[in-house]
Amino acid sequence: MNDTINLVDLDSNLQAASPQEILAHALAEHDNIAISFSGAEDVVLVDMASRIKPGVQVFCLDTGRLHAATYEFIDKVRQHYEVDLQILFPDATAVQQLVNEKGLFSFYQDTHKECCAIRKVGPLRKKLLTLDAWITGQRKDQSPGTRANIPVVQHDRAFSRPEEVLVKYNPLVNWTSAQVWDYIRSNNVPYNKLHDQGFISIGCEPCTRPTGPGQHEREGRWWWEEETKKECGLHR
Amino acid sequence: MKITLVKKILADGSPCKKCGDVLEKLESSGQIAQIDTILTADERDPESDGMVLAKKLDVDRAPFFVVEKDGAAPLVYTVYMKFVKEVLNQKTEEKDELKEIMENNDDLDFL
Ligand code: SF4
Repeated sequence: MNDTINLVDLDSNLQAASPQEILAHALAEHDNIAISFSGAEDVVLVDMASRIKPGVQVFCLDTGRLHAATYEFIDKVRQHYEVDLQILFPDATAVQQLVNEKGLFSFYQDTHKECCAIRKVGPLRKKLLTLDAWITGQRKDQSPGTRANIPVVQHDRAFSRPEEVLVKYNPLVNWTSAQVWDYIRSNNVPYNKLHDQGFISIGCEPCTRPTGPGQHEREGRWWWEEETKKECGLHR
Repeated sequence: MKITLVKKILADGSPCKKCGDVLEKLESSGQIAQIDTILTADERDPESDGMVLAKKLDVDRAPFFVVEKDGAAPLVYTVYMKFVKEVLNQKTEEKDELKEIMENNDDLDFL
């Protein structure tokens, strides 16, 4: 209970803090912490964190379906920054079973959830079970439907070890896409070259496409599916 | 040990489908007998028992389980499979656990 109250208080204290301040707090508070880096513009977190704590753990989920440009970019980040960048892979048996049963593009019929569960959530959970805290690049402006209420810091109840607390930090939550790109440009941060080709949100190759003028960035991901419905959230 | 289940009523007055699915699973497996209290979080009424408890424990989704053991802080479970595995000691399939996490955590779409 105390942990919950502390995190709620901490969240309200950190709401007005800069991403660097939030990161500094997170990195000072937890030794066993890692940044989740997706190969898109959340590289700003890696840039900021490597200045605060060189050698910080960073992990990346390799679904086996990323764009070639994303692989090149991940490797560039590995060389550019003084971080401990780990690439995580899905369970080979689970992928094999999915592909044997349903082929390589089952997500176009069955929605992306099953494939993402195997290729992303499985390796993510395996990693998170070893950590006390993690850091994501989530922002409210990325998906008004599902992220409007994301806090700066929260309990991650989906991935915690039994009877333990896993803390999740979202330092960029109150930043806009424009602020992220200002930071990238002013600090010469390397970025995925797909961004220059009209991609805003970058995920797996078969599930990501460039967006046109006036389209929201989420329209570039899983475009064949209906807008995600937020049935499980408690709207307070 | 005391186990509380919080189920939800949506803002339009309809019952939450996921909560219904979880209740059905608990009933068909007989595990419902291990649930001491069921509270309702009614989105139309912030003072409803479930809404008050969700606020107190900083839970932002439903259904959820609260497990209280003597002298320990309450544990909150928002993933049914995680709850049955860790609290009720039921064997679960990794595939089903991952699927549930993916389906019920829309904010994971950043991955
Ligand atoms: S984004 Fe597409 S290819 Fe990648 S894991 Fe999800 S469904 Fe599979």
